Amino acid sequence: MSERDPAALSPSVSAAEAPAERLTITVWVNGQAYTRTVPARLLLVDFLRNELGLTGTHIGCDTSTCGACTVHVDGRSVKACTMFAVQADGRAVRTVEGLAHPTEGGPGERELHPLQQAFHEAHALQCGYCTPGMLMSALYLLEHNPNPTRDEIKRAIAGNLCRCTGYHFIIDAIELAAARMRQQGDR
Amino acid sequence: MATTLNHTNRVGRYIGRSLPRREDSALLQGAATFVGDIVLPGQLYAVFYRSPHAHAYLRRVNLDAVRALPGVALALCGDDLPRYVKRMSPFPFQHRDPFQAGNPRINFHDRYGLAREKVRYQGEPVALIVAEDPYLAEDALEYVEADYEPLPPVLNAEAALQPDAPLLYPEWGENVAVRFHVSGGDVEAALAASEVVIEERLQHHRMTGTPLEPRGIVARYDPYTNVLQVWDSTQIPHVIAALLEDSFQEPANLKVHVIAPRIGGGFGQKWGFYPEEIVVPLAAILTRRPVKWIETRHEHMLATCHSREQTHYVTMGLKRDGTVLALKDTIYADLGDAYPVGGFASSISTTMYLPGAYKIQHYDCQLYGVVTNKTPFGAHRGFGKSEASFVIERMMDIAAARLGLDPAEIRFRNFIQPEDFPYVCVTGSRYDSGNYPAVLRRALELADYEAMRALQREKRARGELFGIGMCLVVEPSSSTRMGSYNSGYHSVTIRMDPTGQVHVASGSNDEGQGHWTAVAQLVAEELGVAPEQVLLHEGDSLQTPYGSGSYSSRFSVVVTSAVTMAARMLAAKIRRIAGHLLEVSPDDLELVDGRVQVRGNPSRGAELSQIAKSAYHRLYDLPPGEEPGLELTYHYRDPNIGFHADSRGRVPMFSAFPYDAEVAVVEIDRATGRLQILKFVSVHDCGNLLNPKIVEGQHMGALAHGIGGALLEELSYDEHGHLRNASFASYFLPTVLEIPEYTLDHCITPNPFTPGGYKGAGETGAVGPPPCLVNAVEDALRPLGIAVRRTPLTPYNLWAQLQAASRA
Repeated sequence: MSERDPAALSPSVSAAEAPAERLTITVWVNGQAYTRTVPARLLLVDFLRNELGLTGTHIGCDTSTCGACTVHVDGRSVKACTMFAVQADGRAVRTVEGLAHPTEGGPGERELHPLQQAFHEAHALQCGYCTPGMLMSALYLLEHNPNPTRDEIKRAIAGNLCRCTGYHFIIDAIELAAARMRQQGDR
Repeated sequence: MATTLNHTNRVGRYIGRSLPRREDSALLQGAATFVGDIVLPGQLYAVFYRSPHAHAYLRRVNLDAVRALPGVALALCGDDLPRYVKRMSPFPFQHRDPFQAGNPRINFHDRYGLAREKVRYQGEPVALIVAEDPYLAEDALEYVEADYEPLPPVLNAEAALQPDAPLLYPEWGENVAVRFHVSGGDVEAALAASEVVIEERLQHHRMTGTPLEPRGIVARYDPYTNVLQVWDSTQIPHVIAALLEDSFQEPANLKVHVIAPRIGGGFGQKWGFYPEEIVVPLAAILTRRPVKWIETRHEHMLATCHSREQTHYVTMGLKRDGTVLALKDTIYADLGDAYPVGGFASSISTTMYLPGAYKIQHYDCQLYGVVTNKTPFGAHRGFGKSEASFVIERMMDIAAARLGLDPAEIRFRNFIQPEDFPYVCVTGSRYDSGNYPAVLRRALELADYEAMRALQREKRARGELFGIGMCLVVEPSSSTRMGSYNSGYHSVTIRMDPTGQVHVASGSNDEGQGHWTAVAQLVAEELGVAPEQVLLHEGDSLQTPYGSGSYSSRFSVVVTSAVTMAARMLAAKIRRIAGHLLEVSPDDLELVDGRVQVRGNPSRGAELSQIAKSAYHRLYDLPPGEEPGLELTYHYRDPNIGFHADSRGRVPMFSAFPYDAEVAVVEIDRATGRLQILKFVSVHDCGNLLNPKIVEGQHMGALAHGIGGALLEELSYDEHGHLRNASFASYFLPTVLEIPEYTLDHCITPNPFTPGGYKGAGETGAVGPPPCLVNAVEDALRPLGIAVRRTPLTPYNLWAQLQAASRA
């Protein structure tokens, strides 16, 4: 019996029929325009990681379940493993690399975003692999709801898996960041 | 009073304090380097073609069509390997008789990294394809031609022992891969003398640890120096380097350098020597180009080790007052295809620690580690002691119910008492320290136990399903295994460089535990420098002294000890040099705030950087006979382990004994089977707390692992041996919505055998929730007479049991 493996592999097209089509796209990532010619089937997450070298966006599951690849596209929270790069053509993408700001301080020193600072202080990360996605989901929440309840925070990060922390310190960190960002907004 | 809870931590200027983590900055900004982030010039991409069958003869693999594809650089199948590599050794052992006495008795099958002749689980690697681009490599999988002759699969351990069961390894004549027996006292006599004998069949389901970063490898070969460099998402870089050096026939005398960069969680799944760890480096050697392989999650579920699945036939003998006299168990561990990930070592741990927190003097345990056509069974947070805890803590509850005792009462009656420590248990281990009665009492108090029982009576009267469960689990840490790579010591090199910065090199590595921070705290404490002056180098087999890596919570026990002792030796040398220069006795000197100075007269002293300059650059400053430099290596031998089992199989395998008392209060919806955790209390003792915030984070993370395992996670196979839930879309991990609020407290009984008094904080929490929650659910269902024998406690499983009970 000769067979190919349908269960384990199941690509929808074979190499011979692989979409050879390449498209030229321009994507604004963290405020900078990048023009690249890419295969039509290239995933947005691979575009960010492999074409642009922005490896802060991580891949944890391939099924849009774990949320490690969460980025913002035109201000909306998106799992970057579920979108083609060509679908981001002409759009603005924000990744974890776009959160901290350069400062006047020492060479290369950056001021952490209040969420990053709060994650640090509240010990909201261990291995740090889920952290970029968590931060982007939390940011999306706080951009739309500056004063969330704990329950609203939980719902906002329910699409992001963390295997290390057990989540409580992440909720604490988002609460802390929300309070600080509200204060900053009030000033 | 001996049974009160001790909260006094050992606190210094830096130790015992919640310093924020030094490793966070890069991780928070997406700047940390994981294996998947590494790009080398000319890099190729590897994918594996894996068996779609659980059990089949592999008649032929034809890769001609693959090799003809544009962009494909290399394709290999099993028959291509023997020319280059040796058979893989049975990790973690170095030879076939690790205890040197035929107990355990082990059947080995030496294998190559790709299947030959037979496939034995769905997902077993059959062929490797290396291409210019990862998408092209995946396309090329379509062109693999493999001829199989399917065989009936064997899908559980007990079925595998039936006389007509198909054999995975016909040359063994059976499906038993490992037999092990351990005993103490006289179990048969004690059972005969028991007033009550309880027999149960208890099962723990199959699950896995699922670090969020899957495995990954980048390999590069330099033919001019014969050095193979491997970046590997592994917990054991030195061990992988040694195993790889031992694996290649060609090229001869290969030197291997393994680097474990940032690791996105391990949990035991990255403690193993996997087929991919040989085959990807071989591809780099053959192509003379760097080769990268990153595991997909689908592959991870099929090809990275599974855990926990055991069936126990357990007999407990008691007096009517609840005193346990005897414990006897026969364990069938479903090892899947067994090798090469060390699952049978995990099951041997189960046999050693089944007596748990109780003074059980008569014990007998027979283990059968059985091969089946499932993914190999390996390490997972809790390493066999989770299954041991599940069984003993379930039995205590079952016995309490049988005898009409409160489940707390039966535990208090049998606990090892605070004054018994160090306590030598029936299987030979010396439990370091503890206060089990105080911890359980505190957990009950925090749960408001009496009030909860009163509430339960009211709710039961209304027909509501409301239950209270408890457990006290012991999770022995820092393992050593005779004849294995787990070697019972740890080495650390410390160097204060000529400017006073301190570098520490250790053969451990961090998968998120906060090692950089912990080591900086320990060294700053001993040398009187700021933590910011200390840098830990880890995860690199050339940069660090040989070490067996990170597993079994051994960092807290042996690595912190080696760091502290190395720092103390360095401090002594600094005092000798300074004493010589200042003309005072070294004993009168202390290291404070970057200076070495006379105790009580701080103005008389020197900057550490000045002493460092003397040590490196002004040898005429040194006392006679003093060696130059401020660099030394300390080898710390674990004082509380043994290497040789006695004739009854008893040996102290684990060195420290953290433990946790948990109480859960649950409610079950009778119509839907939905389980709600209303309260979850945990009172934990891991000895002194080096960094209390990190300990709390470790413990809460571990509890989440345990709760997910108890409530949601089960690897489920269909009758063909196909894994039904090989993705995160179908294997349900706990999200934030499934995790309850906790009430936490600590008890501190310092480990008397180590300089810091630490015991290991990362695993105990993963061990308690399965027995605690099953006990709570059984308590809730008691009015219906339902005995919970099926886990996990998913709504469906509970609903099905409720339906069956209502039909009966």
